Amino acid sequence: MRLFALLVALIAATAAPVAAQPASNTAPPAPATTVPPAPGAAPAPVAALPPTPMSSAAESVYAAAKSRLLQIRTLVETADRQSSLGSGLLVTADGLAITNYHVVSQYALEPATYRLEYAAPDGSRGPLKLQAIDVVNDLAVVQLDKPAAAFFEFEPRALSGTLPKGERLFAMGNPLDLGFTIVEGTYNGLVDYSYNERIHFSGALNPGMSGGPTVTADGRVAGINVAKQTRGELVSFLVPVKDAATLVERARRNTPLTPADARAEITRQLTAWQAGLFQAVGDKGFRPSTFGPYRAPESAVPWLNCWARTNADAIPKPRALVSTTSCSSRTSLFIAGDLQTGQVDFTHSLVKSVDLNAFQFAAFLSQQMQPSWLGNWGKKRLTQQRCHENFLTFAGDADRPLLRAVWCARAYRDFDGLYDVSVTGVTEDRDREALVSRLNMRGITYENALSLGRRFLGAIEWAQGGTRTTGTP
Amino acid sequence: MIWVEILSRHRDVVARHRCDGAEIHIGRGYDNDVIIDDPFVAPRHLRVYRGEDGKLIAEDLVSANGLFVDDGGNPVPSVVIDGDTPLRIGRTHLRIREASHQVAGERAAVPAGRSWPLALGLAAAVIALELVSAWLSETTEPQVSRYLLPVLLLLVLLLAWTSAWAVLSRVFAGQARFERHLVIALTMLLAFSVYEEVCDVGAFSLSWRVLADYSYIGAWALFATLCFLHLREIGPAHLKVKAAVVGGLAVAVIGAQTLAQSEMRAWVTQQSYLHDLKPPSMRIVPAQTDAAFFADAKNLKAKLDRARKEERPAGDLLSGLDSDE
Repeated sequence: MRLFALLVALIAATAAPVAAQPASNTAPPAPATTVPPAPGAAPAPVAALPPTPMSSAAESVYAAAKSRLLQIRTLVETADRQSSLGSGLLVTADGLAITNYHVVSQYALEPATYRLEYAAPDGSRGPLKLQAIDVVNDLAVVQLDKPAAAFFEFEPRALSGTLPKGERLFAMGNPLDLGFTIVEGTYNGLVDYSYNERIHFSGALNPGMSGGPTVTADGRVAGINVAKQTRGELVSFLVPVKDAATLVERARRNTPLTPADARAEITRQLTAWQAGLFQAVGDKGFRPSTFGPYRAPESAVPWLNCWARTNADAIPKPRALVSTTSCSSRTSLFIAGDLQTGQVDFTHSLVKSVDLNAFQFAAFLSQQMQPSWLGNWGKKRLTQQRCHENFLTFAGDADRPLLRAVWCARAYRDFDGLYDVSVTGVTEDRDREALVSRLNMRGITYENALSLGRRFLGAIEWAQGGTRTTGTP
Repeated sequence: MIWVEILSRHRDVVARHRCDGAEIHIGRGYDNDVIIDDPFVAPRHLRVYRGEDGKLIAEDLVSANGLFVDDGGNPVPSVVIDGDTPLRIGRTHLRIREASHQVAGERAAVPAGRSWPLALGLAAAVIALELVSAWLSETTEPQVSRYLLPVLLLLVLLLAWTSAWAVLSRVFAGQARFERHLVIALTMLLAFSVYEEVCDVGAFSLSWRVLADYSYIGAWALFATLCFLHLREIGPAHLKVKAAVVGGLAVAVIGAQTLAQSEMRAWVTQQSYLHDLKPPSMRIVPAQTDAAFFADAKNLKAKLDRARKEERPAGDLLSGLDSDE
């Protein structure tokens, strides 16, 4: 099972009605996708049932929270109409509110085209100033034009990470622009194998609730609504409240973000984040894994999600057997509607001829190398991919097969010093069997990519030392 | 005895008149020895007589349109006839020869249909190459139709192409020369197939992507050569003009495709690496060391940083360019 999380900002501008899922099962998991509902979608008629009475806890929680909730609206400056909607929560008396970065991302990246506005449950509206962002944890702090009469407090047990699994939580927000709602669910701890901490919340989050609070029964914030999984029921995710508290502190201490600096700030955050991520990959190191006659590197970090597949049972019987291991990190970061970054993935495919001759096998291998490696994000955000390729041999070591190696990279237009890089190696020592290994790194500095890519290709070796065979195995 | 030959624009003999008199008159009127139905010829246009030294002389009988030598631009009052240089009166080309005119020796007879075995051999080679190439890139269950259809299509196109040239040949040269055109087409097709394979394998063997990326330049050059050979077969006249026209067109097409390709590359991410692998034994060049490989990879950074500032993001141009390739 793969994770298809769904950011729950309500974006009506892009009109793709369902969650974007990969067209084929060979594509790497696309963990976070904003999903817009159809504007003005009519509610499906439901048989009239007697209304289930809301638990009294929810009733009192909502009553207490009502004046502290916000709807955060991104408007197109020229049209003065909403382009994306989310939720927010007031956290200080002087009118600071928390929401998700992805709720305000359009404004953060294009401050000339969009503006921000809040709408409170009492009907009041006003402009918002963007004070601070945290793209890694998908958080933003905005400043209202007035002080807050009431505001949320953070749950101490959530700050210290001691909430018990199973505790009842209440998520609030304005789903699908239908009005403010409260949803019951349970706390299920932190998501396993995730590099960035996310709380697994079993409750219904819907587009438009992004940036809203999820609170305990006594009304204290335990997490910020951020995403849901499109496959599966009631599988939703919250940003831990400690990250929100940190960002609010930062927003108070530091000078507010000016719109022009947002890109530089995102660049700085992404650069720092990838440094930590790839430091962790480097520190944990690669452990060799055996694929037929070869050994190839697999990262030892715990936050990788690995799957295997084979075409051995395909009909008609395949003329070359492919067994693939692919691993991807749950580290995808939402930057803009047309750009996600941060994901690392690698695949090793052992390809073995059944009855293909050497030329046919080479043609088959060429097909294995085909798919677009890094995903087709808009050319607005990224440059063209440029590649270097050659036969590659590592100096001073006889235990490695010669490789056909391809290095492809593209640069982020908005974020100086960050690149998407894909490294591929195909073993060139046998004519009817080969290992195709590929490492994709998104949002990485060039230096990190070079060092990691070199390590990756350098770790492709023969399983038994020195079995250099050429020709028919 | 003097022969007056009326020539076509391509200098082929259209009609031949035998004249036995000492002096010949040529014109449109019925009192001439040779009558020419050309409205631009005077009723009595030309007199041919033997000069004092015994050579034949053609003399313009003061016609309005005059007498011209070959393609000369100025009319001449009279001209000594050498038997080879055509004369022109009105719009009619003439050649006047004496019975003593020396002709070339007899050519060795070529048995009819002798070029057929060559054509068949070439065709077999082309088809074999196509089939082998298709077989070597076969990665799924073989299907006869996948081999048969392209070959049939190729043969139909080849026949259509050759027929077109045969028709042109018949119109302009009077002879279809179908076999000659077929041999030319097959030879160039074989050359093209071999060239394609060489580029394909060479790009891998030499690890030189340019060979695959720019193979179209050679392909167009081969196509231009093909057209030139056909044109030469139609008539040997104006070879330089024909070569220049064909060459110019080829250069223009190559230029246009290069431009289209570079513009396409700005929008399409795919195919920026070599996609055709060959068996490892086809490798010729030595492998790069890791130091050299990653130094080259590092050098891409500067290009990307430049592109980041200079390259414009794609607009709607893509839809317009799609059909160009």
